[in-house]
Amino acid sequence: MPMVLLECDKDIPEREKHIYLKVDGEDTRDFLPVSNAQTIPGTLSERGCAFCGAKLVIGGVLKDTIQMIHGPIGCAYDTWHTKRYPTDNGHFNMKYVWSTDMKESHIVFGGEKRLEKSINEAFDEMPEIKRMFVYTTCPTALIGDDIKAVAKKIMQERPDVDIFTVECPGFAGVSQSKGHHVLNIGWINEKVGTLEPTITSEYTMNFIGDFNIQGDTQLLNQYWDKLGIQVIAHFTGNGTYDDLRCMHRAQLNVVNCARSSGYIANELKKQYGIPRLDIDSWGFSYMEEAIRKICAFFGIEDRGEKLIAEENAKWKGKLDWYKERLKGSKMAIWTGGPRLWHWTKSVEDDLGVQVVAMSSKFGHQEDFEKVIARGQAGTYYIDDGNELEFFEIIDRVRPDVIFTGPRVGELVKKLHIPYVNGHGYHNGPYMGFEGFVNLARDMYNAVHNPLLKLAATDIRVKEVVAYSEAAE
Amino acid sequence: MGCEITTKKRQGIINPMYDCQPAGAQYAGIGIKDCIPLVHGGQGCSMFVRLLFAQHFKENFDVASTSLHEDSAVFGGHQRIIDGVLTLVRRYPELRVIPVITTCSTEVIGDDVEGNITKINEMLKEEFPNRKVHVVAVHTPSFKSSQVGGYSQCVEAVIKNLATAKVKSNGKINLFPGWVNPGDVVLLKHYLSEMGIDGTILMDTEDFDSPMLPDKSIHTHGRTTVEELAGTSGAIASVALARYEGASAAEYLEKEFEVPAHVVSTPYGIGNTDALLRTLSEITGKPIPESLVKERGLAVDALQDLAHMFFANKRVAIFGHPDMVIGMAEFCLEVELEPALLLLGDDNSKYKKDPRILALKARANWDMEVVCNADLWELEKRAKDPDYKIDVILGHSKGRYVAIDNNIPMARVGFPTFDRAGLYRHPTMGYRGAMLLGEAIANAMFAHMEYTRDREWILNTW
Repeated sequence: MPMVLLECDKDIPEREKHIYLKVDGEDTRDFLPVSNAQTIPGTLSERGCAFCGAKLVIGGVLKDTIQMIHGPIGCAYDTWHTKRYPTDNGHFNMKYVWSTDMKESHIVFGGEKRLEKSINEAFDEMPEIKRMFVYTTCPTALIGDDIKAVAKKIMQERPDVDIFTVECPGFAGVSQSKGHHVLNIGWINEKVGTLEPTITSEYTMNFIGDFNIQGDTQLLNQYWDKLGIQVIAHFTGNGTYDDLRCMHRAQLNVVNCARSSGYIANELKKQYGIPRLDIDSWGFSYMEEAIRKICAFFGIEDRGEKLIAEENAKWKGKLDWYKERLKGSKMAIWTGGPRLWHWTKSVEDDLGVQVVAMSSKFGHQEDFEKVIARGQAGTYYIDDGNELEFFEIIDRVRPDVIFTGPRVGELVKKLHIPYVNGHGYHNGPYMGFEGFVNLARDMYNAVHNPLLKLAATDIRVKEVVAYSEAAE
Repeated sequence: MGCEITTKKRQGIINPMYDCQPAGAQYAGIGIKDCIPLVHGGQGCSMFVRLLFAQHFKENFDVASTSLHEDSAVFGGHQRIIDGVLTLVRRYPELRVIPVITTCSTEVIGDDVEGNITKINEMLKEEFPNRKVHVVAVHTPSFKSSQVGGYSQCVEAVIKNLATAKVKSNGKINLFPGWVNPGDVVLLKHYLSEMGIDGTILMDTEDFDSPMLPDKSIHTHGRTTVEELAGTSGAIASVALARYEGASAAEYLEKEFEVPAHVVSTPYGIGNTDALLRTLSEITGKPIPESLVKERGLAVDALQDLAHMFFANKRVAIFGHPDMVIGMAEFCLEVELEPALLLLGDDNSKYKKDPRILALKARANWDMEVVCNADLWELEKRAKDPDYKIDVILGHSKGRYVAIDNNIPMARVGFPTFDRAGLYRHPTMGYRGAMLLGEAIANAMFAHMEYTRDREWILNTW
């Protein structure tokens, strides 16, 4: 029963291996969707490319760093104004994008000179900025431009600047996931340990795999401040280039997004012996657990309990108000990967919401192991879901709300299903206690949007009744 | 006084004005009915462009990818083109057109798209003997031109592929509006209908603004059909409204099928719209009706309230697609705004010699600058320069922070305008478009006067 071949997939039967319907009594030894595999061409998959996994997801978050994209203009244009990660310095990261604007002659004769010129121009035009990431793209990787050599030359000529290179063209790997990996490993091997931090607390950690979506990092930072823990580096929400060079000095690595950033935590353990602690930052019960685990590590349990009590006193009543009204709602999650397992149990426990279908763009086997363990029976677990599959799954599970991106959100709107932005949020932050109340509020406002009833009304029908009722 | 035409001196770009060629080709492709463009490249090349369209229109559009991975980059992506097309045709029974849009990577690898299409056509014939799907090669390497050229490239490729024979004269006009909003398409169709002219819009994007319906059906797609595309060779004339976005297809139809091509001034502003309607009238022999004289009068009347009172001597910076920027500049002159800075954003060397640019230069009795191959950093530097006064910005949402950070009122126009609600629904072309644009500029200025307490009391009695 469990692996599902949908009607729309009868011509691409290999998709059966990617779609799982969990049944009571089964576990992941029996069935696990194939993931992190090549996409079938022409399926209208939701995946992006490896370059965007590096630039848009991780590098582009930094608040003090030029993101120089060595390639034709599209790679820069397309990874600009598509994310909601503010900073406390006026959103430098979201305002600008840089490109070498490769043209045909550079493809033929090589683009290294143009890269060198563009890097120098960028530093000259923005003299207060001294840090840069340089990315290859599909064509510059294919022609073999040596971006490392160019970066090295410029760092010799301009001793006050530091440049990190990311060689991860769009065609690498099967999804954006490859870009996360390449950036993680490159950074630990080339930049961590090249600068020493100022230590201001006896408790220090790195907070890894959180990108300050609508202020997540800044919200959680209030907790770490209250607990007296110094965060040496945020990888990479509201983060700086130089903080990330100091990651080797933390006593603990706390990992939220294990998919995008688990690699660097593993390397920090291997190379510097810093333990890795995985947490979930969305949801009351998970956040409490996270604070308890972190505080237990440092031996400051009473501070943790005090914080948890304070936050509950402030937010639990509001959460319960929404829980009372959301109980039994059906939710679908179509996002990147980790949010499936971060969210499925927390919305169930904290809000009484049932997650009926989940699709991951770039999750790996371990993500599916986690989400199937945490998720319910009767729920669909989909790897690299495509548009026709979404229609069919929606028909089967009829969700009340879908957490997904804006484009798919526009699509499901026509089916009278509201969406909440599962990537950039509607009105976040969503992490932490306050954040989860925000998530609950956005979900409540979506599910109870009066326009949904109006949309279903067919004014040609004499009695003004909902279309679905009229059809029955 | 006078106009200087220059080119950006830097080699790199900080904040681009345009996306790359494949993005433009995808925009043209989604304007065709029963069509899903297939982008031959990495997945990001279509994923982000789809997101961009969704941001602008608040709608979803179908664009597929061949999902180029490492092995194809090494060994070639032939099989992925074949698989991509066959998967689409098998799973989407309505599908009739598939533009195969190349990207930088697949052009560098050198995949033989035409050869593969020949192979695909044989396979399709065998598997679907009663169905014709037009698979069209569109070559749009990202390292040439920009989204502007890519749009033109796709329109031309589709016409060349579908208008293969001279059909019987159908009395229609081929209207190439260029890369415009559904609001513009609705307006142009309204003009044709008021004049009693039968036209083919290439591409008809009216339904890019589509409803939520009780039966949950989805109608977000292009309207230009295969039959209409094939019938373009039998039109009495082609009228191209944008020199750089579709005019080449009109010229092809003239060369190949003797359909006269009229490349007119892009109809932004009153005078340019007059010229379009006169051209249509001359071609068809049909008079310009009273109703359009009235529409024109409404626009002139509305703009008259704004011109010498609020707009005169105000310096405007304009950026966006070349035909639009030029048209906007011409519109500005009609309402006493000074087009002080025009930014054209790719390396097309024809802009500098464009007769419309030269005409503006000849007229300029104010300080004016045209920057070719420009980026938005050129705008930002000037906006920050206290000696370089910019009173109003006209452009798309990618330049929003230049306006926000430098306290300059900005009217959103062009593509994309994702940071304002519903703009795609309204025309910018034609009389009504000129009126709405003038009012948008005025209202941006008025809000700015209020927030900066700059003689906001003038409006107490306006």
